[in-house]
Amino acid sequence: MAGETVARGFGLGRPGRRASIEVVWTVFKARLRIISRYRGAILLESFIPIFFAGLPIFLGIAVAGSEEQAAQNFFDNTQLAGQGTNEYRLYVLLGSSTFMVVSLMLWLIGYWVRREQETGTLESLYLSPAKRLHILTGVTSYTLVRSLSAFGIALAIGSLVFGVNPLSGNILAALGFLALGLPALWGISFLFGAFVMRIKEANAVIQLVQWILAFLMGVYFPVTMFPPVLRGFAMAFPPTLMNDAVRSTLLNISSIYGPWYVVLALMFMAAWIVPLLGYEAFTVMERRIKRDQGVGQF
Amino acid sequence: MSKKVLVEYSRYPLNFLAIFGQVFIIILLFVMSTFAFSAPGGGSGSDVSAFAGMMTYGFVTSMFMSFTLWEVGFSIRQEQVRGTLESLYLSPTNQFSNLLSRIFAVLAWTALVCVGGIALVSGLVGGLPATNVLRGLGILVLSVSGFLGMGFLFAGVTIKLKESAQLLVSGLQFFFFIFSAQFFPFSVLPAPILDYVSRWLPVSYAVDLFRTTLVGRPPELLPNDVVLEYVIVALFGVLSPVLGYLGYKTIERRARRAGTLGEY
Repeated sequence: MAGETVARGFGLGRPGRRASIEVVWTVFKARLRIISRYRGAILLESFIPIFFAGLPIFLGIAVAGSEEQAAQNFFDNTQLAGQGTNEYRLYVLLGSSTFMVVSLMLWLIGYWVRREQETGTLESLYLSPAKRLHILTGVTSYTLVRSLSAFGIALAIGSLVFGVNPLSGNILAALGFLALGLPALWGISFLFGAFVMRIKEANAVIQLVQWILAFLMGVYFPVTMFPPVLRGFAMAFPPTLMNDAVRSTLLNISSIYGPWYVVLALMFMAAWIVPLLGYEAFTVMERRIKRDQGVGQF
Repeated sequence: MSKKVLVEYSRYPLNFLAIFGQVFIIILLFVMSTFAFSAPGGGSGSDVSAFAGMMTYGFVTSMFMSFTLWEVGFSIRQEQVRGTLESLYLSPTNQFSNLLSRIFAVLAWTALVCVGGIALVSGLVGGLPATNVLRGLGILVLSVSGFLGMGFLFAGVTIKLKESAQLLVSGLQFFFFIFSAQFFPFSVLPAPILDYVSRWLPVSYAVDLFRTTLVGRPPELLPNDVVLEYVIVALFGVLSPVLGYLGYKTIERRARRAGTLGEY
């Protein structure tokens, strides 16, 4: 009892379970409160996938010469790549909405460390007795709410703008695949966070990574259109798996990975392995930086 | 001031490499997208080359616009976040040079990146049309001057919008990608969008004139009145920086009066 009192008195106590839940809740609430001051940001991020989908649609019509021909050519080319759909508007809208979820995850989790560094609050967070995992859980929960809201709004408005029906497929299964894909995204975000911590000024790198993501995820076309080596690499990338699972379910087309149970197994595997690897990479990098110059330097 | 920006950039060389890489990835993404929509047999060589020219030269204007918006506009936001904006305003430096200093390095780098991008597409499609190169460069200079004005105004908007500014840049980029038809010909846009949005944007005329001059075709927006299209682009190049800077000063003065300049 005396030992505990002394330890707590000197600030050596670790928060219990209830306090840890409060840490998660406080971080989550703080993030929501900050973003609620910038409502325009939420509105804009819901419109970006629509613009992002509009680009290949107009480009496709320009290449094909007419809307009908664009649909026919898209069907022919995607069929050769193992899918086959003439619903090219919904195809790219789903791709770009899923891309927005991935992109927001990277920005909000991966760039979180950098943001705290820039605002000078990272060292204070490290000095607090809260565990980093709980702080990160708060950040990821907030990211989840924000990215899923953007996904839902973009899909709803985008469907109206492009005149497509996203509800023709199995919505529940698609939402399930989306949820199952999120842990892998968290893992990649932690990995990315470690990378950002290392290189520091990362704006251009994040933008580069976003375009690489859009490229590898097959936002506009099935990745089976890539040459063999690039195709293998893209298919091993968890966001590609998530994108394909959601899209093939909603469009009622075959997945490039095979039958649904293969997709499900791969998603479970990614949801299990990638977060562990990502968090491990994050802690290793964190330890190394703390040992070298300290986390506050930027 | 430019030296300070250059020193800052030199500390993060990976950023420069990332910008270079980004351009190639964007080009590859859109080239692959055109494959998804092209007839399995493919079109004739000259058609492919002209279409690639329209897309690539439009892309060049989009690159200059994006980098101007990001570097001029968004760097103000960075100063806000780092807490150095108020110090900069308290120093005896000229406010205009503060804004202008942010562009030299990035313009030079964007020009290099664009040359690389043009070379890549040219290699992929077996050569791009390049007629009236000098006139095209003149139009590009006027367009970049016009984009700078937009960048100045956006810097002011950033002071006001704060966190939302980042998404606004991305939103604006995509807005102009589509409504100024930077990646495809204007003929693809539905008539109401073309008449009620695209034709009201000076950026559309800059994009149209630059790429049709290089491809050697009449402009799409005003094919029967090319002179007027030149006049619009020239006015955009001359007036936009002046109006943009005035807009920036107005917002900045208000922020200083309200004491919110350094707030983020």
